[in-house]
Amino acid sequence: MSAPTRRYGDLTSHVVAFCRRLRLHGLPVGPREAADALRGLSAVDVGDRRECYLALRTVLTSRKDDLPAFDRVFEEFWNPPQPEGDHGPQAPKPLDGAGDGSQPPPALMEWLDEALQTQGEESMPAYSPVEALTQKDFSAFTAEELNEVTRLVIAIARRVATRLSRRTRSAQRSARVDLRRTIRHSLRRGGEIIDLAYRRRKIQKTRVVLLADVSGSMDLYSRFLIQFIYALQHALGQVETLVFSTSLTRITEAMSEDDLRQALDEVARRVPDWSGGTKIGASLRTFLDRYGVALLTPRTVVIVISDGWDTGDIEILEAAMADLRRRIGRVIWLNPLLGSPGYEPICQGMRAALPYVDVFASAHNLESLRQLEKHLAVRRR
Amino acid sequence: MHPEITRIQTMLEAQGYVADQSLATSVYLAIQLRKPLLIEGAAGVGKTEVAKVMARALDTDLIRLQCYEGLDATTSLYEWNYQRQLLHIRLQEKSDLPLEVREREIFSEPFLLKRPLLAAITHDKAPVLLVDEADRADEEWEAFLLEVLSDWQVTIPEIGTIKAKHVPYVVLTSNRTRELGDALRRRCLYLWIDYPAFDKELAIVRRKVPAINEHLAEQIAAFMQFVRKTKLDKTPGIAETLDWSAALIALHRDHLDEDAIAQTLGVLFKQRDDAERVRTQWLDHLLGSVRSLDREPRPWTQDAIDRVADRASPRP
Repeated sequence: MSAPTRRYGDLTSHVVAFCRRLRLHGLPVGPREAADALRGLSAVDVGDRRECYLALRTVLTSRKDDLPAFDRVFEEFWNPPQPEGDHGPQAPKPLDGAGDGSQPPPALMEWLDEALQTQGEESMPAYSPVEALTQKDFSAFTAEELNEVTRLVIAIARRVATRLSRRTRSAQRSARVDLRRTIRHSLRRGGEIIDLAYRRRKIQKTRVVLLADVSGSMDLYSRFLIQFIYALQHALGQVETLVFSTSLTRITEAMSEDDLRQALDEVARRVPDWSGGTKIGASLRTFLDRYGVALLTPRTVVIVISDGWDTGDIEILEAAMADLRRRIGRVIWLNPLLGSPGYEPICQGMRAALPYVDVFASAHNLESLRQLEKHLAVRRR
Repeated sequence: MHPEITRIQTMLEAQGYVADQSLATSVYLAIQLRKPLLIEGAAGVGKTEVAKVMARALDTDLIRLQCYEGLDATTSLYEWNYQRQLLHIRLQEKSDLPLEVREREIFSEPFLLKRPLLAAITHDKAPVLLVDEADRADEEWEAFLLEVLSDWQVTIPEIGTIKAKHVPYVVLTSNRTRELGDALRRRCLYLWIDYPAFDKELAIVRRKVPAINEHLAEQIAAFMQFVRKTKLDKTPGIAETLDWSAALIALHRDHLDEDAIAQTLGVLFKQRDDAERVRTQWLDHLLGSVRSLDREPRPWTQDAIDRVADRASPRP
């Protein structure tokens, strides 16, 4: 039979094209996922649109945030703007025996991998998701500058992180007897237990949430601060990073890239409203609603890096700050303007936020970052 | 619909779980592709229930691993039966066996206590392994779990490597108190369970609380829709709906009114602030919404409910 092979090929290329679009929209879809999508489709009725949708969704998404993008791409794919003959999977035929839940052949995997790597212009969707917003290139950093500052910032962040964890360790003295090791040692003495082996409790690290303003008024500092965030994240382990201007974007994952340059590129790609206006209140509100339950506990320290110039509703900001303060251990507000002589926090946004801030400090140079250390440990409330 | 998906949906229904097509499809693919299924959603939407029902539907055992902060590889995999080992050592005190032999003896399978992961791997028939609230465990453990999920074998230094007899069906649930890592996510199929729509919740109430009268069931399901549109610290889930229904029946109520709700508020809202806020600010509004819905033609639709809710949205 030659027909099924051809149809299989059709479906495969559709799936690959679909996966590529998902990737353009930021979903983590690789060759393995594409292969699973094919296996998934071969296990359901391909003629049934809803079933295909559900199957692809369960295989190709991996978090709630993926769902809107997935729905959009799927809609686009099934109802393309200009229907072009055989270009579109409106009626894929059911395939027989193409795959019965078994692993796809390695050759297919390789091919999928290759196909996904090539960024075929012709099959790209007509619009770019960030087209209306400016996309800023980070290549403005000179190499020396970058290396120098990064080295210093990382050194500071490491020291801060180590000292923080040391402090936690000495505070928690409780130890449990490690029976496994105790018994093992006792064997040497004919089963007599003489020494007890202890197991230490895990160190409970402070969770740090960084909310960094990347709007126009903060642009001057944001490069520098991103470096610090980045370094701190590597040193502490439990850091969530979000950036905001008019809207909020979680960049924790992007910030975990090993290579700094890569990480910065990633941020530039993922933060569509780089250097736009600021809506601190609305962004905080979004943060509380979307990540509040997950991230905020009395052990959490939230660091806001912003100058407090809010172009949105001040009441929203105030309510959000009150809510935030109630739910966490400590709020630190870093305002780079505080470093400039004669600055008074008189702008409305800053004034509204101040009553709920535990520590108000500047973040305009390396020295001020060093000062941060003493604020990061949380007392139990 | 694919006959197999229909079958799974029917099976889930038969086990008392009101399953929609998306859930049935995900369960079906998890079984077909033999990939772990990660289920996320707010508390009380029935995530854990999926695994239980899946085990019953597959006619196999459910092995549950409840995660918590500080869970480590030892506790989830295996432990040595220390008391028994000690006893054995005592009994062997007078024996002439060389030390090595005695040591090998007490570190052999009879002295091994299987914890959920090892139990799942060595089970006679592929079981359903429920890793409940995976977000509560920490990152190190998550990495360890990922390793087990990819190799399906574990190494116990004293015994050697144990390979899975049958690869278990795995269901992971998460309340998103911590974001799970990408590596783990990518290994899993994904299902997001939202709060149920009116129809589904009504079906669940009817199914799980058979003694309830039709009118009350409808009112309860509608009330829940209205409640979830308000901003609360802890939005009540299906579990709360069911408890509340049972409580109302126990008090011989056949419709919702101020008294009935005031008496049972604690069942529905587990946080004092929420209960207080509902009592003082929103009760009139919520009841008003239910009453104006009462004037709508039946059966009520989600549309009608949304319309009523929009018409009188509560002041925050």
